[in-house]
Amino acid sequence: MIKVRDIVALLDAEVLSGESKLDEEVKSVGASDMISDILALTKPGMVVLTGYTYPQVIRTALVTDLLGLIVVRGKNIAPETIAYARENNFLLLRTRGYLYSSCGKIYATGLRGSDAGK
Amino acid sequence: MPENNKLARYAAIFEDIKAGDIMSSNVVEISAEKKIAHAKELMKIKKISGMPVVDEKKQLVGIISIEDIIHALEFNKINDPIRKIMSTQVVTIHKGDSLATVVDKFENYKYGRFPVVDDEKRVCGIISKEDILHGILEKFNLIYIHDQKRTSTLNTEYSAITGEQLKTEEAKFHYRIDSSDIDAAGTGAAMLKQFLTGKNFHSDIVRRVGVATYEAETNVVIHSRGQGDIYFFQDEDRFIVRVVDNGIGIEDLDKAMKEGYSTAPDYIRERGFGAGMGIANMKRFADKLVIISEKNAGTQVEMIFYLPTQTWPLI
Ligand SMILES: Nc1ncnc2c1ncn2[C@@H]1O[C@H](COP(=O)(O)OP(=O)(O)O)[C@@H](O)[C@H]1O
Ligand SMILES: [Mg+2]
Repeated sequence: MIKVRDIVALLDAEVLSGESKLDEEVKSVGASDMISDILALTKPGMVVLTGYTYPQVIRTALVTDLLGLIVVRGKNIAPETIAYARENNFLLLRTRGYLYSSCGKIYATGLRGSDAGK
Repeated sequence: MPENNKLARYAAIFEDIKAGDIMSSNVVEISAEKKIAHAKELMKIKKISGMPVVDEKKQLVGIISIEDIIHALEFNKINDPIRKIMSTQVVTIHKGDSLATVVDKFENYKYGRFPVVDDEKRVCGIISKEDILHGILEKFNLIYIHDQKRTSTLNTEYSAITGEQLKTEEAKFHYRIDSSDIDAAGTGAAMLKQFLTGKNFHSDIVRRVGVATYEAETNVVIHSRGQGDIYFFQDEDRFIVRVVDNGIGIEDLDKAMKEGYSTAPDYIRERGFGAGMGIANMKRFADKLVIISEKNAGTQVEMIFYLPTQTWPLI
């Protein structure tokens, strides 16, 4: 079983919000910068890597029942985005790694995306 | 386009719809030898007003209605076999009949529903007016009314899908969409989702409502240049979400429906919107979707989500 905590260590990520979720199990992972893709292609409980940092992304994630988001490339995140995540105790992580490498590292742990088996 | 050409075109679209495609197949039938009291109980439990009656070979021999039962009660015949009071002049539809034939039956006989039979005269379904509408909607999964009739259908209190009256003041949830603030897009959908979560509905349907409403709401903010509202209605077995705006409307819905088509400008795309997947997502997450729109007259999105069906106790 892979926990949020393991991903944090793997990507050397900062926990910006949702500290209480660190021991939850990560079951599947995705990556996207488009809102409609997140809405259409993710499953509840998924963790999604993104380069998208507007507050909108938190709302999208909440509507789709995601477990958490990982912002890549150490991007600046608007304080409103972090505040919104904190208000909802939503898991928000940030890593300096780029999207490709971060996905690769997570993939190597055996975690798969929502297209697994297709 | 001349009126009769238009009709011919519509008829062609529906030509391949057969009675068997649109009927409800979980029909409740009863044996002619059973007591009338039995029919009464069954109709009460299933909340239906009439039932096809069959013989031992499951072939249709009659129909029994609430009126027949009241009659039997009046004359103390409630323990007689159904065979004695059922009407035997039953107008049926064959499962291979075309939609045009089905519609004719409704026109010519003023019954609310007709039993559907196969070649052996066995009952295989039942068709009500609502089934016809559902059948047509299923064919498209979406209807787009783009003509003069719009003025009478857009902004009415009647559901374009079920024909039910939907009074906005009876909506269980209402949200006024602020189209001037892109950052607020989706707030109404998120609030609706929270509202439903608080009412303990199953997380799957709540999520579907949230996502589809989110797409409709963001469209109002991003594209409509007008004002909009989200209304949520609840029926016994379904949710209805209506998202209406008075903005610029959708000029070509055939195009708008295609995945990947978007008129969103660059600054909107930069914000992660404008993938051209919104309407496709509404279709994916709602059970029924109807969009009515016209250029410069606004857009009305209506979505239906069926609650998980109850299972009836066996008798
Ligand atoms: N409420 C609306 N008012 C005006 N135009 C709309 C509305 N909703 C959708 N549209 C049009 O339909 C197109 C497709 O919508 P959609 O599938 O949600 O994709 P997107 O929002 O990503 O552009 C939009 O680009 C726009 O041209
Ligand atoms: Mg859209």
